[in-house]
Amino acid sequence: MLALNATTLEVLNRDAPEPLVRRRVAGFDIYQETPPPSDTEEAWRYVEIDVDFDALALAERAGDPLAPGPFVSAITDAVGHAVVVDGHAVTVDGGESVGLTAAATLWLEGEAPRLVDPSVDKFAAAGFAFGGDGAALRVPAGVVEPRPVVIELQAATGGTISFPEVVVEVGENADVNVVVVYRSPNDVDAVIAPLLGLDVAPGGRLRFTTVQLLGDATTLVAHERARLDRDATLRVGEAGLGGALARLDLGVRLDGDGSSVEVVGLYFGEARQVLDYRMVIDHVGRSTSSDVLLKGAVEDEAQSVFTGLLRIAPSAARTSAFETNRNLVLSEGAKAHSVPNLEILCDDVVCGHGSSVGPLDAEHLYYLMSRGLSRPRAERLLVHGFFEEVIERLPSKAMAEPLRREVDDRFAAAQAAGRLG
Amino acid sequence: MNSALSIRDLHASVGSVEILRGVDLDVGFGEVHAVMGPNGSGKSTLCHVLTGKEGYHVSGSALLDGTEVLDLDVDARARLGLLQAFQYPVEIPGVKLSELLREAAEERGVDPDETLARARELAERLGAVEFLDRSVNDDLSGGEKKRSEILQMAVLRPKAALLDEIDSGLDIDAVREVAAAVEEMRGPDLGVLLITHYSRILKYLRADRIHVMMDGRIVSSGGPELAEELEAGGYEALRQRLGLQPVTSAAERRPSDFFTDTPFDV
Repeated sequence: MLALNATTLEVLNRDAPEPLVRRRVAGFDIYQETPPPSDTEEAWRYVEIDVDFDALALAERAGDPLAPGPFVSAITDAVGHAVVVDGHAVTVDGGESVGLTAAATLWLEGEAPRLVDPSVDKFAAAGFAFGGDGAALRVPAGVVEPRPVVIELQAATGGTISFPEVVVEVGENADVNVVVVYRSPNDVDAVIAPLLGLDVAPGGRLRFTTVQLLGDATTLVAHERARLDRDATLRVGEAGLGGALARLDLGVRLDGDGSSVEVVGLYFGEARQVLDYRMVIDHVGRSTSSDVLLKGAVEDEAQSVFTGLLRIAPSAARTSAFETNRNLVLSEGAKAHSVPNLEILCDDVVCGHGSSVGPLDAEHLYYLMSRGLSRPRAERLLVHGFFEEVIERLPSKAMAEPLRREVDDRFAAAQAAGRLG
Repeated sequence: MNSALSIRDLHASVGSVEILRGVDLDVGFGEVHAVMGPNGSGKSTLCHVLTGKEGYHVSGSALLDGTEVLDLDVDARARLGLLQAFQYPVEIPGVKLSELLREAAEERGVDPDETLARARELAERLGAVEFLDRSVNDDLSGGEKKRSEILQMAVLRPKAALLDEIDSGLDIDAVREVAAAVEEMRGPDLGVLLITHYSRILKYLRADRIHVMMDGRIVSSGGPELAEELEAGGYEALRQRLGLQPVTSAAERRPSDFFTDTPFDV
């Protein structure tokens, strides 16, 4: 076990390539200067996070990978498959056509792209200092590959923190489909703080779906950054189901004229889970468009947070930007915070945002019951329908059916245990 | 033999306002009855109370094929065979009509596949096939919503169907289509109670009995000639012929009483 300190940095850097050493040293400086997150900061005000960086350690080697579960097994036509356990790339199979490699090998080729800003918080800084491995795709220009690349990010060892990296560079007019699945066994009290960087070149298209199925004791603090060049398209799909506390900090920059992003996501919190989404979409280029739709449910004592910001730069004429966050609060002890924001510095835009937090619609229930459905059955059908709008728009079709089953089962379990209302 | 629907001395109030003041009505199997009346007369309340909507204080009796339903929950009434086609059916995004019908069949212990196969057949006859794979009432026009309501009735085969203003807000072609769909449903195992403001739909739909409701009571019942009388003279002329005084004073009336076809109609 390696503590997050200067000695560990030295050990890690002993045989590391020069660009990675430089990044780690710079990251370590920021790590030391940056205090742990506190709820006095705007970025953490809704979330109580209790991570003691001094008590966590890096796993020297990867723990045992998990057997493929129903989600990974649902992808039957993967063109490549990488498994990263406790921050170490364990297997990288296939994916040659889309340039799939272990992220560590990128550093052998020089400076690896850095889309996440290490000063955003202590997790990101720690990732710069102590990370360096994960999975990377460098998709050559013009390559069109509809079959998915599966990247599994797992935590297997309790008491550890890991910083897996996912780097996706989509070449000009290339088209690729990536599915990231997070998993850890229940009771593994690990922290995963991944750095995900997505860079889409002119005319490139990326479908990027993350499915978070972590165990009930694992904490996730993910930093995901995307940058889109001219006429590039990014479709992000997100499913947040597991973890004790799981935060996705997503930032998308629409730099290129005509670039567009669509984010569709769902989350379902149970027990005392905290599911926290921060999304900032920056419109910089002209004629860019964004569409964010996030729907979630919380039951028992679970909490969800959505903080969204659409930022339209003065240069971003003819922007179209929409964000919607809808929440079902299913138990009295559950909470959902929804804070959509707009910051518009350009006149020539079409923007909109919507947000709702509440129980199942009484009129919808009445209608279904007037057709003879018992209340529990009517509720199940409504929850199913609530998520269906997201599930059918996910960029990964393969994830639709297992997700449907998961949210249906989750609600039915809450119902059977009498936790609703 | 039981009536499909047999209503006795039905009273309903909201707070201290009594809306139904003793309704008696029998709808036999195989029959179509129309309840007509001005806005605010209690027609829609009659539907709501029979269906089991919350918020009303109710007394009296309503037998569905001989079984008392007033003390049952809304879903239990529906499973017994009492179904309402709503005046303003709510849109339920994400829930396909086919899924709703499948769940409704399962809840009744009926084979869902057989039910859906029959739904497709019926939908074809109603020109409503595409509704089945769309979200319930989502993005449907007024007329399409009413057709969707009728389709659900036809599939779920109630003993008594309450059709609440299924002609409101429709153009004449749509009224004709909806009327034809109701005619299609008519049969020896079904009694239909049709609530309507206008006699228009009765040109296309043969009602066996017409009842006129005013101030929470059935004030007159008769054959098709009653609809003709209303067509000619309106509700006021009928009120005068019957020698009735309005029970509610103008001050107690709500704004919806002064408009026709408003969504606030009770």
